[in-house]
Amino acid sequence: SPRTMKCVIAGTHLRVFGRAIHAIARISDEFWFDPNEKGLALRSVNSSRSAYACVFFSSMFFQHYCWTAEPELCQKKRQLPLTCKLVMKSVLPVFRWLNTLERNVEKCNIYTNVNDCHITFKLFCKHGIVKTYNLAFHESEPLQAVFSRHMCPNVLKIQSRLLTDIMIHFPTYQEEVTVAVTPMKVCFKSYTEEEIDFSKAMHTKIHLNPDEFDYFQIGVDSEVTFCLKELRGLLGFAEATSASVSIHFDVSGKPIAFSIEDMMVEASFVLATLADIENRESSQQSLCLSQRQKRFEVGGKRCTGSSTAFIAMKTHIRASEYFVCTKTHFIKYCIFQFHSLFFGAVSLKEQDVISHTLHSLATASDAEDDFDNEQLSQVV
Amino acid sequence: MRFRAKIVDVACLNHFTRVINTIAKLAKTCTLRLTVDKLYFILTDKVANGGVSMWCELNQGNFFDEFQMEGVAAEHNEIYLELTPENLSRALKTAQNAKTVKIKLTNKHCPCVTVAVELPSLSSSSRIVTHDIPVGVIPRRLWNDFREPSVPDFDVSIYLPVLKTMKSVVERMKNLSNCIVLEANLNGEMNLKIETDLVSVTTHFKGLGNPPWVSEDGSQNSTQDRDPESMAEARIDIRKLLQLLAGQQVNPTKALCNIVSKRIVHFILLHEEVSLQYFIPALA
Repeated sequence: SPRTMKCVIAGTHLRVFGRAIHAIARISDEFWFDPNEKGLALRSVNSSRSAYACVFFSSMFFQHYCWTAEPELCQKKRQLPLTCKLVMKSVLPVFRWLNTLERNVEKCNIYTNVNDCHITFKLFCKHGIVKTYNLAFHESEPLQAVFSRHMCPNVLKIQSRLLTDIMIHFPTYQEEVTVAVTPMKVCFKSYTEEEIDFSKAMHTKIHLNPDEFDYFQIGVDSEVTFCLKELRGLLGFAEATSASVSIHFDVSGKPIAFSIEDMMVEASFVLATLADIENRESSQQSLCLSQRQKRFEVGGKRCTGSSTAFIAMKTHIRASEYFVCTKTHFIKYCIFQFHSLFFGAVSLKEQDVISHTLHSLATASDAEDDFDNEQLSQVV
Repeated sequence: MRFRAKIVDVACLNHFTRVINTIAKLAKTCTLRLTVDKLYFILTDKVANGGVSMWCELNQGNFFDEFQMEGVAAEHNEIYLELTPENLSRALKTAQNAKTVKIKLTNKHCPCVTVAVELPSLSSSSRIVTHDIPVGVIPRRLWNDFREPSVPDFDVSIYLPVLKTMKSVVERMKNLSNCIVLEANLNGEMNLKIETDLVSVTTHFKGLGNPPWVSEDGSQNSTQDRDPESMAEARIDIRKLLQLLAGQQVNPTKALCNIVSKRIVHFILLHEEVSLQYFIPALA
């Protein structure tokens, strides 16, 4: 088969791999298994496109890593690289008991069988026990967030232990958290949507000294609100690697990225942030300047009256049809070349989701050389 | 109206946290009454509570290093607040290794009890965590609703068995029935009974002892004339009983209950610095 991946994870590294799976599980019920010659990336996007997670294991992480794709064959048949989308529910059981995993499993073999769309996880445990999990996948093009960390004016670096110690003060039900920064101070505070009875909710604020950070660079004063629930996954993973966490962000409305890097593993969680009421008007105006407008509906509970931003995503879909079904009518798109979606800030009230449409930019980017310059067309 | 208090000692903080956790398990919302010497957590016997009422009293000096209170008026030097004790519990949950904990009445977007926790940090200045807990200020005209309940004219008063044992018995019974019969006599015997169409289960406790009560006027207690073998009983909601037993984080110094046959059971749990009274009405 022209597209195969085979790797072996040593027992001692299984904890980290398992934690990565658990972290990604916080984002979505499905994730992509995206191997290439450098290593294996696990990617996930939530249903409202407001959170993206990627954990990349370099080939050095594995006891053995082998990825083959015959380039000539690929080009001739215009075949895509191996792309598997797995259901989280079927993978989690493999890595459920992380403590016992470390103690009892000597190694884990993972290999793909493209012919019958299965990925096999084979755990070699003590006492000669071998557990084999054959998980079905379906082919799907992974999404990647379009986000440049180095463009962010605000960069913080903090020990993962400390970040956990900060977030622990927020009650477990707290969904959204705001980080407010100036060059002199940092504050994390709980965020409550206006609709909820303001007088009932408890508000928590944590004031920190910039001294507590390993790196503290604030280029622009800002207050950004992001989803804490989604971040908790990364915090759990950070503890397993005990690395420090880098935080890159800008003003409200632009995404915030939390990343961890060590020699063999890189993890990145990119979360959309709520846009300010004041900025909402101006950002919608700038969106309308685009000539190509795409209409689609955003589902999910994040669009509940506050201004919600989603993250730009890109994929490499070639010829395929992309269907979007709304409650009132059926829109069919034909996408020949889908380059990128610029991210936009919109405001939707839950009851208006059906009648409101989300305006967004879709323009051809010149980032990818090997694609033809075909246009996005919309068929209603 | 002003209120500022500070806890500095870690043992006091832990103890206070345990008290708040117990209150949080017993009431979703309750009244906090502040006087110069004491704090009270009060729940009145409204229908919404299922007729349950609670009176918990603490001496502020046993917990706080600093305590300043100015009531609504000079002649009514008290503050009554309505709050959700669970919020207070959450605020204190992550304050275990705090340098100081300050609790004060503030007015942010609405009246709040603000818990400010000063935590040690790696840098020169401490890390400060503040929790603003919205509260309702109870006006003076409603204060009469929150008077201390009197000890009822009970038929039997008896010391409770070890609470942990009692709790595990009641926990198992909860799966079989919604009501439990609590009966006891002046011979130190108590039975917990459940009875359904299919099954009846009784747990017997003996040798519990009966606390001596003296009336205020010094006269003998009316229960002296009672046949010591005769059981006074009350059928109560098992979940309410379990709430009380499960909420106890520390074994009380003294635990007893007063039974008014078929009417009400009055529980008294005494710790060194805290007293808790809990009333569970009998079911029809």
